[in-house]
Amino acid sequence: MQMRIEAGNTLRHVFVQRKNGVYEVTIDGTTHHVDAVRIDPATLSLVVHDAAGGRRSLAAALSPGGAPGAVDVHVAGRRVPVQVQNGSGLGRRREAGATGSGPQRVLAPMPGKVVRVLVKPGDAVTARQGLVVVEAMKMENELRAARDGRVKDVSVVEGQSVDAGTVLVLVE
Amino acid sequence: MPITKVLIANRGEIAVRIIRACRDMGIATVAVYSDCDRAALHVRLADEAWPVGPNPPRESYLRIDTILDVARQSGADAVHPGYGFLAENEDFAAACRDAGLVFIGPSPEAITLMGSKTAARQAAIKAGVPVVPGTEEPLGDDVPDAEVLRIAEGIGYPLMLKAVAGGGGKGMRMVATPDELPGALRAARSEAGSAFGDSAVYLERRILSPRHIEVQLLGDHHGTVLPFVERECSIQRRHQKVIEESPSLAVSPALRRAMTSDAAAVARTVGYTNAGTIEFLLDEDGSYYFLEMNTRLQVEHPITEMVTGVDLVRWQIRIARGERLTLDPETLLIPRGHAVECRIYAEDPDSNFMPSPGRILGLRVPHGPGVRDDSGTYEGGEVPIYYDPMISKLITWGEDRDHALARMRRALAEYEVRGIKTTIPFFLWVLEDADFQASRFDTTFIDRKLGARQGAPLQAIDADHETLAVLAVALDQVTRTPAAARPAASRSLWTSRARHDALR
Repeated sequence: MQMRIEAGNTLRHVFVQRKNGVYEVTIDGTTHHVDAVRIDPATLSLVVHDAAGGRRSLAAALSPGGAPGAVDVHVAGRRVPVQVQNGSGLGRRREAGATGSGPQRVLAPMPGKVVRVLVKPGDAVTARQGLVVVEAMKMENELRAARDGRVKDVSVVEGQSVDAGTVLVLVE
Repeated sequence: MPITKVLIANRGEIAVRIIRACRDMGIATVAVYSDCDRAALHVRLADEAWPVGPNPPRESYLRIDTILDVARQSGADAVHPGYGFLAENEDFAAACRDAGLVFIGPSPEAITLMGSKTAARQAAIKAGVPVVPGTEEPLGDDVPDAEVLRIAEGIGYPLMLKAVAGGGGKGMRMVATPDELPGALRAARSEAGSAFGDSAVYLERRILSPRHIEVQLLGDHHGTVLPFVERECSIQRRHQKVIEESPSLAVSPALRRAMTSDAAAVARTVGYTNAGTIEFLLDEDGSYYFLEMNTRLQVEHPITEMVTGVDLVRWQIRIARGERLTLDPETLLIPRGHAVECRIYAEDPDSNFMPSPGRILGLRVPHGPGVRDDSGTYEGGEVPIYYDPMISKLITWGEDRDHALARMRRALAEYEVRGIKTTIPFFLWVLEDADFQASRFDTTFIDRKLGARQGAPLQAIDADHETLAVLAVALDQVTRTPAAARPAASRSLWTSRARHDALR
């Protein structure tokens, strides 16, 4: 599962998959191994595995923030405002920049390999149209346009390995 | 006179507190509520509940006539006013008495007397208790500067020049040295004259770095008045107490003896009964001055309960029904361990403590050793805009101050309120302060420390917090799939139950 989550004014590309009984959550290329158990509709118990073999136990409670897609996360003694984009459930907001302006940079959410490029420069694209398919952790992820526009640049080719955050396509 | 059913003329945590004491004693309880409080915790916990009107306090909780009607209709034989609302209203206390109801508090006469600042000051002087040094008589326009200077010399500098008819800081001047006096006198008189039509002023010693120390008292109807170990209430934000503790590290056993016996002396002078509190200013040099008396149960009464083991509300009721105070006076003055209270408000400490009313979507209340939470609300409950935004008092007890503070930090960290903002982060910040930890503070402490922050957020959010929040949201979304929402185990239980029912 793939989503975009904004925290601290930074948009993060997040990819989640379940592996060996724990969740692998990749945030902008950094993978976290987390055991998550739901306590109640608003509360999760998280056990975050760290690189040194440690196990950090945290309670995280979520409550709706002021705006659509806004979530207040109560974790580690803080209330962290978070904006969920293109998510289901709490995130009812439309894709980032859907109503904004300026060029849209489509980034690789995680390290992986470009398996398909679906557009070429000059193509007209509509919101949510697939642009590039990136394979990571044995999953294919289709990256889509946030809004209607025209492809200005395609910076990758099929078969190319990319790091998290690499610009794949520019749509304006 | 027996008390079998108590009407609680209040709401919120204090109404809940009183209901609990009544329940402990096998006494029935009658709650009253305004329109928006129909689902409030005190209504849910009481044996009976009666509406008393619309949301504004003046139309409900302050309606003496309506509340007395409810008392009659419900068959209550006593009324507990809590604090705030009608608690220090002599007309209410008198109306209860006239209606044949036991008022669980002092006499209307005592409320009237101690409610007047000047009469209370006179009572203290009569009891031989020090008051803040100042002029007893107003200084009118006709008093020459030289005379005022002479009087000022006797009081000592720095001093405050205050309008007799004053209020709101008008006609008030701080005077640090004698040469400042003539100018300040002219300015204060002219300001007071135009603001209040009375240019008379008086002088009072300015206590530069006072602590606010208060003494809890209980007085019965048989002439006994007992003082309790002091409470330290210097941690105030804009003159509002926010953290209280007992005992005070600034009060030695000898000073405790002096202050508590002086407090009891003031109460005896006026024939005081039931629960009351004498407030003192404690100067850095150890001298102290009577400030005022509160003729009611105080918000911060639980810390006294924690260090003495006495249930003050229960004793209020016992005294009201004519019982003698049988407590051992000595044990009331020897604190057992240390207690701290934080008043948790529905306010946003990062937005200048703006009230944050609304629905409490999630509530996780701390428990465990040494923790007491006196709350007036619950998960799903509403914090209305009409009343005081205090939602709970968190109290911790420890073997000593450090222990109590450590438990407070632990309890605050466990405390989770979702849906509204609270002052919990503010308390966590205060508890981290080295001066607070060392008990180096006076009544200006919080306003100074907050001012020095210049609006910086109380709890910085770092990259780690952001990462954890993103992890939580992502995993929340993932575990919200239909399969997770409806676990296989429970589904099969339902299925087998349905099969079982079908086969019967």
